[in-house]
Amino acid sequence: MTQLAVTGVHKAFGDHPVLTGVDLDVPAGSLTAILGPSGSGKTTLLRVLAGFEHADSGTVRIGATVADGPGAFVPPERRRIGYVPQEGSLFPHLNVAANVSFGLPARERRGPGTEALLESVGLAGLGRRYPHQLSGGQQQRVALARALAIQPTVVLLDEPFASLDAHLRASVRADVREIFRASGATAVLVTHDQDEALSMADRVAVLRDGRIAQCAAPQELYACPADADVARFIGDANLIDGICDGGGVDTMFGRLPLEPAVPSPGPVTVLVRPEQLVLCDEAPARGPADGGAARDGAGAVLAARIVACEYYGHDAVLRVQPEHDPAAAPIIVRTSGGPQLPPGSVVRLAAKGPVRAWSRG
Amino acid sequence: MVTRQDVTGVPPRPSVEPPRASPVRARRARRPGGLLAVSSLIAAGLALPLVFLLIEASQAGLSTVISLIFRPLTATLLWNTVRLTVVVTVLCAIIGTGAAWLIERTNLPGRRIWAVLVVVPLAIPDFVVSFGWESLWGWVHGFRGAVLVMTLAVYPLVYLPVAASLRAADPAQEEVARSLGTSRLRTFARITLGQARGAILGGCLLVALVLLAEYGAFEILGYQTFTTEIFTEFNSAFSTTAACALSLVLVVLSLLVLGGEGMLRGRGRAVRVGAMAQRVTPPHRLGATAIPALASLTLLVLLALGLPVAASIYWIFEGGVPSVTSATSVSMLDAAWHTAVYGAAAGALDTLLALPVALLAIRYSGRARHFLERSTYLVLAMPGVVIALALTFFTERYLAGTGYQTAPLLVICYAIMFFPLALVGVKAAVARAPASLDEMSRSLGQRKLATLRRVTLRLAGPGLAAAFCLVFLSVITELTATLLLVPTGVQTLATQFWQYETNSSYGQAAPFALVMIAVAAVPSYVLGRFFDRSAHEQG
Repeated sequence: MTQLAVTGVHKAFGDHPVLTGVDLDVPAGSLTAILGPSGSGKTTLLRVLAGFEHADSGTVRIGATVADGPGAFVPPERRRIGYVPQEGSLFPHLNVAANVSFGLPARERRGPGTEALLESVGLAGLGRRYPHQLSGGQQQRVALARALAIQPTVVLLDEPFASLDAHLRASVRADVREIFRASGATAVLVTHDQDEALSMADRVAVLRDGRIAQCAAPQELYACPADADVARFIGDANLIDGICDGGGVDTMFGRLPLEPAVPSPGPVTVLVRPEQLVLCDEAPARGPADGGAARDGAGAVLAARIVACEYYGHDAVLRVQPEHDPAAAPIIVRTSGGPQLPPGSVVRLAAKGPVRAWSRG
Repeated sequence: MVTRQDVTGVPPRPSVEPPRASPVRARRARRPGGLLAVSSLIAAGLALPLVFLLIEASQAGLSTVISLIFRPLTATLLWNTVRLTVVVTVLCAIIGTGAAWLIERTNLPGRRIWAVLVVVPLAIPDFVVSFGWESLWGWVHGFRGAVLVMTLAVYPLVYLPVAASLRAADPAQEEVARSLGTSRLRTFARITLGQARGAILGGCLLVALVLLAEYGAFEILGYQTFTTEIFTEFNSAFSTTAACALSLVLVVLSLLVLGGEGMLRGRGRAVRVGAMAQRVTPPHRLGATAIPALASLTLLVLLALGLPVAASIYWIFEGGVPSVTSATSVSMLDAAWHTAVYGAAAGALDTLLALPVALLAIRYSGRARHFLERSTYLVLAMPGVVIALALTFFTERYLAGTGYQTAPLLVICYAIMFFPLALVGVKAAVARAPASLDEMSRSLGQRKLATLRRVTLRLAGPGLAAAFCLVFLSVITELTATLLLVPTGVQTLATQFWQYETNSSYGQAAPFALVMIAVAAVPSYVLGRFFDRSAHEQG
């Protein structure tokens, strides 16, 4: 069931268009992340959903009601949408308990529900504190509890973890994910952090230039990006030139097999993920498993010089320059640790297919 | 998508309230048409005095105005006004900053009590201070007297902002400077004064503008400035043209002060980087220097606060018991009542009028809006006498004299005069109640009225009260406009005091001085609390 449906929403500020036809469906009980670079219109979309801004055109449906559309507008206070802004926006003059119970009818505010909610976000017993006495992570949790208190149809989170420290962010993220699993609430999370989107969300919508470029499950988005830009935006990507003939694609790594989606024959952009590349010293051991790729490209070995090496313990990322083309963009290779290779040394690379390719227009 | 295109033809939905945007997104906000219109109207109303001056000057003709301006009297007035302004502003800067540093940054004994005592002189009208000195000692007269009296009366205008800025600034910067090898004295000069620079300049600006507009104190001290002469020309000689010509010079002087302050302020700003909680840094240890420091603060408070109060009490007893008869106490109650009503009305009106301008200034950005907000500060350059003259002119010209010397016109005059003061408080109030919290409340199911009651007013209330008190306080001590516009047969505390004082009935004037101080003390206290608390919350 779709809890929130957005169709063709446009929004401009003066002469500056921000949203240019957003289409998005959010299934009930899911956590959908809207991922986009800063300035892509994420926050504006969220504000339209919450009812703080009117859409210029298009429709926003919450459940069965048209909340924003031609001739209809439901004001924010009647949308029952929980909103968790970036900075928390706790009411500074109210203590934690009063903040959480703010949206409840007057006679329910002193009930036990508030304490239960605080407990569910891990803040039991802090009801009498004031916002300025809380840490950033605690403030975010109070803001979340306050949004959940009104039993919202949808919870909107606007970069809620951006202001937290790196180590705090990971734990709060996990906690929030757990809170949503437990409550079964529908949530839309806006972020520019792809790790956050991929690790937390059931579905990720990539917002680009005011419209949704692709909306899919994280795995699908990574494996089958809709175009080269989405591929570059989600994870590390090597985008290289190739010539497609319908059956496969010829690249600097030789001939590679294609994913089921085959572009029309001609020049194409080919996506090779860093983990699809292997250093040839390791290649023979893996040979049989993906021999197809290696066999397909006759002499599919590329000599390249190491430009930089970033060592992460569990793996390492190499930046290498193809020997035959010093002007080409460096290629990113992910290797499973192994011996440290000094910059300047020459390695031999092979690619494992199948790969994704798009016609170059 | 094609089917969607007709949607754009739908007429815009009616917007029920002024559109809002959170401050971070201010630039992208929709055009606040309603707010802009209302604010423009207010700014136009505030520009009335200037319009009046220009009309009057153009009617008199350029040659008349020039001959009125270029005469020996103007040179005398210019010399008197400028030298007094310069000397008193410098003295106030030194005394105000020194006192603020002693009280905020050192381990001076009794800092909290000093913080109150040093500010209280602000509640004493300048003309009461000069009355106190002049009535006791004849040598307090002319330039010397004016320097002494005005410095004692207005130095809190520097003290207050400087103390607030020293409290909010990061004391750790001083420690960093010391650790980088800067000596104690150079640290004070480069870091501490640097942090307070904007506040010192702001305070000096207020002092200079007050001096340019002061009438009562100089009249008592027999010191002639532009403002006293303008008042005399209009009130005694009934020469509006001469008064206006002199007013033009005065307005130019005020604009020079405003512009000079803007230039000196420059682009530097005292910024605290990072939102980390402020660590409490131990205050400077004064050691043996505590004794001269205490002595000078004691002397300051005795001269600025003790003497005017003591002089008033002295004259009550000197004048004999009959000075406070049942008749005078009735007239005092009556005067106090009228003063309070006018003050409250002007305070409420100004707070209300400042709201749209403050909303525009805080919640939206844009050059036109910035200009609009700034233009309202032009009123600061208009002495009360000019504003009163302007309103007299417009009522006579367009309303056939209706409204002249009535309570509503007097209140409007106060409202114009003190609008910039109200705007300061209301802007602080609006900044404390950001639009994002309104939106938060709406999204939690609260309607606009409930949001106003439960969030906006709760947060903005103290700032609005501060704005009200600032105006109220200023009305109590206002003299020139009140003398011109007060309804016939009505006395305020200030006018009644003035009447007795000019008749040399010191014994009868003195009780009014004391009542004025008492009435002004209440809003002063509220204000002090507000600024103290907002400084703490910022820290």
